[in-house]
Amino acid sequence: MRGFGSTRGLLLMLAVQNLGRRQTRTWLLVAAIALASAVTFAGVVAMASVTASMQVGLSRVGADLMVVNRDALTNITNALLVVEPTDSTVAADAVLRADIHGMAGFSAQRILRTDRSGFGAAGEPVDLIGFDPGTDFTILPWLSERLAGPMRPDDVILGGARDLPLGSKALIFGQSFRVYGKLARTGSGTQERGVFVQVVRFLALAPAIRDRLGSLPHMLEPDRVTGFLIRMGPASTELQARFALLSKIPDIKVIVGSALLTGIRQGLGMLLGGLVLLVVALSISTAMMVALLFSAIMAERRREFGLLKAIGARNGQIVGMALVEAALATAGGAAIGVIFGLLLLRLFERGLVHHLGEMGIPFLWLDGARTCGVAAACVVGAALVGMAGAFLPAWRMGRRDIHDLLGKES
Amino acid sequence: MLACRGLVKHYATDKGTVEAVRGIDLDVPMGGYAAIIGRSGSGKSSLMAMIGGLSRPTAGQVRIDGADLWALREPEAATFRNRRIGYVFQFASLLPNLRAVDNVALPARLAGRLGHREAADVAAERLADVGLTDHFDAFPAELSSGEQRRVVIARALMNEPALLLADEPTSDLDEQTEREVMALLRAVSRDRRTTLVLVTHNLALAAEAEQIVHIANGVIVP
Ligand SMILES: Nc1ncnc2c1ncn2[C@@H]1O[C@H](COP(=O)(O)OP(=O)(O)OP(=O)(O)O)[C@@H](O)[C@H]1O
Ligand SMILES: [Mg+2]
Repeated sequence: MRGFGSTRGLLLMLAVQNLGRRQTRTWLLVAAIALASAVTFAGVVAMASVTASMQVGLSRVGADLMVVNRDALTNITNALLVVEPTDSTVAADAVLRADIHGMAGFSAQRILRTDRSGFGAAGEPVDLIGFDPGTDFTILPWLSERLAGPMRPDDVILGGARDLPLGSKALIFGQSFRVYGKLARTGSGTQERGVFVQVVRFLALAPAIRDRLGSLPHMLEPDRVTGFLIRMGPASTELQARFALLSKIPDIKVIVGSALLTGIRQGLGMLLGGLVLLVVALSISTAMMVALLFSAIMAERRREFGLLKAIGARNGQIVGMALVEAALATAGGAAIGVIFGLLLLRLFERGLVHHLGEMGIPFLWLDGARTCGVAAACVVGAALVGMAGAFLPAWRMGRRDIHDLLGKES
Repeated sequence: MLACRGLVKHYATDKGTVEAVRGIDLDVPMGGYAAIIGRSGSGKSSLMAMIGGLSRPTAGQVRIDGADLWALREPEAATFRNRRIGYVFQFASLLPNLRAVDNVALPARLAGRLGHREAADVAAERLADVGLTDHFDAFPAELSSGEQRRVVIARALMNEPALLLADEPTSDLDEQTEREVMALLRAVSRDRRTTLVLVTHNLALAAEAEQIVHIANGVIVP
């Protein structure tokens, strides 16, 4: 086994030395790959960040449609962030059963508005909102600060107007919760002073609430909800959706959010999709050029490969050496490029992100793990491209007569 | 030891097929010394390449110690070249980035037969055998043509091959150096009872061989 390892070491050393022999060319190649991967890395990270920020920004605009009971008194707000606090309820499975086409998603909410309530030891009035973090798209985007880790069942999120610190204890109907996060100021009253509880925990409060209020409001029954918030898919209009909802679910009211914002959201989604395609096309064309270059470099080494084969190198060893050499140069270049790309992103941050921040638009960088993922993909991708380019000529040389490889003609 | 039967080599070119070797039978006994002579273009290198496992015959057979060389599959053929055959090429055939001792060690290292250390030790012995005790650490560019050729001979002997092939190994050397290198080649092959097949233009050198093979137009002539 030691012999095997030593052969590998030899091939690795030969590969490194081959790169070292033509330093100018190696460095040019490494620089070209570094540049390409810097642009790809920075581009992908910036675009993913912009996309995520946009999504959050646009989600903050609220839902496209709100479905509540027909009897609900609605006080039309332009931002559909939480459903109206009302005593009337809708069947919890109404939207699911209605099977509306063209919906991108929906989230059910339960709101208990009470003045004899239990928020804090003094039992101050509260809008207690039960929501499902799994389907939610209007509340979580407003999180401005939160504890590390995922939200636990005994966690609550507070509206921006409340000022308990993160991690502190909050009493709701006598039960103890931990303050997990706080929302930014939204300007919508219900949300500003709301207390957000995961739906499971919300329903579990029922006995305590019945004790305090003397009866159980309907939205605390598992099969009833206060209402739904709905997000439209790109190809549908509110008019169609509204009509479908009204015709399939009895006794409801459909409230439409801002049509303009729905349009912008749909348009931006398409634009970003197009940009992604563009970056992909650019990386593919760069990849093809690098592969071509490596083909040429390997073809030039014909005679040396012939010599190695003559003294007993197997085809697999020759191909392996070519692949290692290509992978070293391209992955090395890509790694340098990623570092360079990080510098580019710093510049980007100084400029655009700063301006956006001043305008009050939050810019969310892609998280660390995913950024590392993009970096790794750049390095591995570059190595694969280099190896793909090197493989074919090396493999073809392996099949040629050694005498031909050794021949003097160029 | 070496037995060739009905060897034929055709090359397909733009101007049609070149019949470089047109049916050669050749036997060289174990430890024997054969010199191949003939005019330029007569097919000597083509024959040597077929014998050495470097160029697949269009027809015919090469047997070395009974093994049918061209019936072997690729990995076995590579191992065979590595263990049983040593080559001394006409052109400079050292890897420029390796020191002399590492160039010599290459065949053993490629086979994974010896580790870095052991291979270096054996390579040093081989270099000493060809009289290059002082140049272990030299890179090829730091050696004279004659010294380079000695390094190549040491490399060819690294794995103690049964057959040593040399295609005009001294054609680019001056007369004095040529004589020295040839004497060395003869001496080492005789010491090790290695079968030696040599192509040369130098008839005086050829005359020292036990067996002279004269080739013209791809066939052996008396
Ligand atoms: N790879 C090839 N493709 C086409 N023709 C070739 C090839 N190799 C050799 N030939 C032709 O085959 C013939 C024999 O060539 P070969 O190299 O075997 O001759 P040689 O006797 O070694 O000559 P020299 O003394 O000049 O080395 C020549 O006509 C040559 O042009
Ligand atoms: Mg020749």
